[in-house]
Amino acid sequence: MNILKKKIEGFIPERLCIAVINNLLQILASFIFITIVNAQTSALEETADYFLDSPGTGKFAVIMAGPTVGEANQTQFRQWAFSLHDILARDYGYTSDSITLLYDKGKTDSPGEGRIDGACDRKGIEEELATLSSRVNTGDQITIYLIGHGSGAEEEAKFNIVGPDITGSEFAGMLDQFKDQDIVIVNTTSASYGFSTSLSGEGRVVISSTRSPSERYDPIFSRYFIEALDNRNGDRDKNNRVSMLEAFEYAKSNVEAWYEEQGRLASEHAGLDDNGDALFSLNPIVDAADGRLAEIAYIDSAVDEFSGLNPQARPLKFHMQELERDIFILRGRKQDFLESDYWQEMESLLIELAIVTGQFEELIRDSNDRLDTNLTNGQTNE
Amino acid sequence: MNKPSVNLRKFALFSAVSGVVITSSVYSQELQIGTGESPLFEGEQLMLNGSYAAAADTFRMADGLDRNEGIVGASRALFMMGNSVEAVSIAEQEIEDEDYASFPLVSTQLAEVKRSIGHSEEALAILSTVVDGQLEPPVRTLVQYGSLLEFLGRKTEAKNVLDRAVQRYNNGLVFASEDVAMVALASWLLDNFHDANSLFSEATRANPNNLEAQVLWGDLFLEKYNANDAQRSYQEVLDINSRHVPALVGMAKVGGDERSLTRALAINPNSVLALETYGQLLLINNREEEAQEYFDRALNLNPQSLKSLSILAAQAALNQRQEEYERLKARADSFSPDNPEFLGDIADTFGNNYLFSEAVEFARAAIDSDPEYWQGYTLLGSNLIRLGEEEEGKANLEIGFENDPFNVMTSNMLKVFDTLETYSTLESEHFKVYMSGNDADILWPYLEPLLEEGWNTLTAKYGFEPEGPVLIEVFENTADFAVRSVGLPDIGPLVGICFGKVITLISPDTLAANWQEIVWHEFMHVITLQMTNNRMPRWLSEGISVWEEREGRPYWGRSQGLDLVRAAKEEKLLHVKDLNSGFSGARNNADLGFAYFQSYLVVDYITEEYGFEKLVEFIDQYAVVKEESDRFNEVFQLSLEQFNNGFQRWINHRVEEINVYVHSEDVPDEGEGHGHGIRENSSAILAELYNNASLKQHMRARIEENQRDFQAHLQLGIVLFKEEDFEQAKFHLITANDMLPSYTGYPSPALVLSQISEREGNPQEQLKWLEVLLKNLQHDYESALLLAEDALKSGNFERADYYIDRAIQVDPYRSGVHELKAQYADVVGDAELAVTEYEVLLKLEINDPVEARTDLAEAYLNNGQLDEAKESVLYALEIAPSYRRAQEVLLQSISGDGS
Repeated sequence: MNILKKKIEGFIPERLCIAVINNLLQILASFIFITIVNAQTSALEETADYFLDSPGTGKFAVIMAGPTVGEANQTQFRQWAFSLHDILARDYGYTSDSITLLYDKGKTDSPGEGRIDGACDRKGIEEELATLSSRVNTGDQITIYLIGHGSGAEEEAKFNIVGPDITGSEFAGMLDQFKDQDIVIVNTTSASYGFSTSLSGEGRVVISSTRSPSERYDPIFSRYFIEALDNRNGDRDKNNRVSMLEAFEYAKSNVEAWYEEQGRLASEHAGLDDNGDALFSLNPIVDAADGRLAEIAYIDSAVDEFSGLNPQARPLKFHMQELERDIFILRGRKQDFLESDYWQEMESLLIELAIVTGQFEELIRDSNDRLDTNLTNGQTNE
Repeated sequence: MNKPSVNLRKFALFSAVSGVVITSSVYSQELQIGTGESPLFEGEQLMLNGSYAAAADTFRMADGLDRNEGIVGASRALFMMGNSVEAVSIAEQEIEDEDYASFPLVSTQLAEVKRSIGHSEEALAILSTVVDGQLEPPVRTLVQYGSLLEFLGRKTEAKNVLDRAVQRYNNGLVFASEDVAMVALASWLLDNFHDANSLFSEATRANPNNLEAQVLWGDLFLEKYNANDAQRSYQEVLDINSRHVPALVGMAKVGGDERSLTRALAINPNSVLALETYGQLLLINNREEEAQEYFDRALNLNPQSLKSLSILAAQAALNQRQEEYERLKARADSFSPDNPEFLGDIADTFGNNYLFSEAVEFARAAIDSDPEYWQGYTLLGSNLIRLGEEEEGKANLEIGFENDPFNVMTSNMLKVFDTLETYSTLESEHFKVYMSGNDADILWPYLEPLLEEGWNTLTAKYGFEPEGPVLIEVFENTADFAVRSVGLPDIGPLVGICFGKVITLISPDTLAANWQEIVWHEFMHVITLQMTNNRMPRWLSEGISVWEEREGRPYWGRSQGLDLVRAAKEEKLLHVKDLNSGFSGARNNADLGFAYFQSYLVVDYITEEYGFEKLVEFIDQYAVVKEESDRFNEVFQLSLEQFNNGFQRWINHRVEEINVYVHSEDVPDEGEGHGHGIRENSSAILAELYNNASLKQHMRARIEENQRDFQAHLQLGIVLFKEEDFEQAKFHLITANDMLPSYTGYPSPALVLSQISEREGNPQEQLKWLEVLLKNLQHDYESALLLAEDALKSGNFERADYYIDRAIQVDPYRSGVHELKAQYADVVGDAELAVTEYEVLLKLEINDPVEARTDLAEAYLNNGQLDEAKESVLYALEIAPSYRRAQEVLLQSISGDGS
């Protein structure tokens, strides 16, 4: 424990260190691990209260697909909305209770109407959000996906719904009822920028498929954002989970590649804001201003990785997590190091993690083998 | 027209002579005629309408205070029709006792006409008298005097006189549009191009009917290679007066439009400007004899036509007729000693004929004769670049740009240097290559071996080693490629250009063609150009390069059997002596593509009928200057005519062998990328849009009419395929395929047959047809990939390798083919190749850098590159520290376990 504390103190301020140690003590006591993946020391402070992502956190999704004209657009929006619904249910542990789909006028002639919970009009939105508000607990995560057309600029920017369109500030007002929940908004509509800026707020992740009011053509961002979730394609760090930052990065790269392949100038540039300043970073991995919340805002819920582990495996697992955390912290402070020092430090941490992981897996394998042998022996004895 | 190369200062004077602007005193005369307007006013209106004869008559009627202006107007109108004798006479008659100073405007007009007919000394005397005899000579007189002094090589005096005109403007004493335009001309001659531009703008705003100002402005733009603005200026003139000869000539200079010149000469058969421009156009089209006639006519009308003399001198120098060159040079020197533009024109001509070393020498001589001849630095710089002398070339372009920033060509070329600074430099044994970082990562691994293979194969074959290293510049941006190649951002469908020691290419990343074939083709030019000291005619150089495509790989090259049959049927095959005009006179891509194809056929004919050695002998003939017919005589012991007859017979035989009927309603296939790209069969593509029933009926009727109608079978097959009548479709498509198995258009019978097999759920049959397809077609990435996948799956590694390479030739920037090649490398245990492929894949990967880094690290590990393996996997683990596969690679890399 002393070794652990010393290592952590080496990277984070004392006040925060105490908080982290307290957390760890809690973790050890309850065998519940709370992932705090923080890239920067300052960011740690900013993100400490949001997206805690404990295994018990409830995750809810609200998909709003607005109306459109033209069969091609209608098919595409419906396909996106339904695919998103199905992927969340199939791969991320959501159920029809935790997904709300508001689609056009609330019905469709196409197959799959059973997924629809209501119309994407003002009444439908207000009612569904109010219902959701009554069901969620503190710390739950609500992800809102907007699909369809948008229009206008700045405070007049609107999301086109059935009936009178809704402005960004009106929608922001509706979200006020979720003060105790973590909110993610993925706005993939055309002219989404103005609307999205109205939704910016502390502790919120807002993704906009466009970066300026002039980008008013229907974006293809939604297609690739959904593709990032599908089969966990966006899982960049191979932890078998997809964060909002990973999905954003995946979609952004593919949108750029699509326009390049088409030989067209890109008419959309997605941005992400998660520090509440309503300024969207186009490249949050490089630009340190945003991305820290999105990095820990996962689509699915965390799994309790300690349950079921035997007493020998638990400290190893704990040590692995500790090393992983140290790596994240070091990575977040990359600019504070000389390049060679950084990689020396990173290498030693990664080697240690690789060794410990190997030991852990060996232990699990051995215990599984013993279990198999016992079972086999038992069967043989019978 | 390749590149506008014009003596615009000379043109400027011409334009000035031909323009018509009557000052405000036009309204002063009370005499009313005809319509009730004054003769001056009416004359001006007639001039504006291009009714020059009527204008001349009307102007003559002006009297009293308008008398002098009437004479000027009449003289200009007569000149516009080419009647310079009358134009001189009417002015001379007006000036009593040669008292030029008392008739400044008429005298100036007289001097302008005299200059235009080669009497520059007389013109100078007249203008000098006016300037000396007047306290405040007219602005026009000053500027024409200054212009003439400069033309005659008296630069210091010219500058003083021109400065006086500009000073007059600066003192606020120049108001009339015509005079402002003259001050603009003075500024231009003083190299104050910015001021000239502003003043032309002011002049044309003040009087939109000042056609002289508009034309001069256009000439200024054209001198700076700003063709768009030049064209706009000329067009504005022609919108007002469609018979304005200088504007018509200007349009011809911009677009190489022969019709404009024909029209100009119909209006004014004595227009020296039109004649010499026509001569240049004919020279570009290799119509030397006709060109000579035009230049003779021009020089007959104006023995001091510097442009005619410089172009003829350039031709003499080009053909090593030294005596003739000296004579022409002496003739130009006699009235305009050491004129830098004369030498600049010669430099330009040499450059356009790929003789860059000579172009550099003439450009240097031009600069020596006048260090303030800024165009000379552009000529010197651009030609040095084509010799691979980048540093010196850039330095000269910078001098040109600093002093003449309006020159679009100079600034464009310098901008390309900015691009090149961001490029990587890669070197192989015989080549030095500039390319973007992206191309360096992805293309270079495949380009390098191809280049060296090309060097080894072709140098051995031709027994000639070119001077190296050969510089290759691969541009991602098409406009950069064009600027680097010709100085201007648009050169049509070209995809690669060889200058002898330097090759410029469009990056395959922005190309829909087989890049390897292009590289091979261009390198062949290096050999033929250097073998002949860059004196190779285009047709032969292209013919050999295309012929060597097929020699390089059996599926490269051009199979245009249908086009050949069509051309033979329509009697469009060119005589061998006219093959160059097939390139220069091509009106569209199809024409240009066929020029390449026919040139290739001639080379094929030579090698087939006379043997490869004769081809090499024939190439050597071009290393020395001699008559074309002598070359044919010496190598083939035939006259050009006899050689051509033999070629035509051979072609006829070939057409008979192809034995395909070409219907007149089908259009030729249109190819992209200068013949290197996909050739689209638009008739067959359109077949999909037609009404099935009527198309079927029509095609069946065509087949009934002629069983060998390839297109009818193909189109009928497509329609039947659409209708899912697969059996009938197959019958017609197989018939078409058997008829012309080498057909490479899109869609082809083999392609549609493979689609039918796919629809029928018969993958083996599908692959069989794709294999047939790829025997001749080189642009199909997907088919090659399918065949490679199948071969890899069935363990036929040689075949897999072959088709993977075929796909890379089409598009090396798609990850699918590299994934397959990496798989192939893994399977055959080629660790080095695996490293190459995973390195490329890492560059192409956008979604999963962790996986790509780990794959690469594994490849390094297998190849014994432990440090590289560790470095790569550390990058992967930095993003994904818990990724188990990467962790294992890391541990292996530090323990040295690369097994």
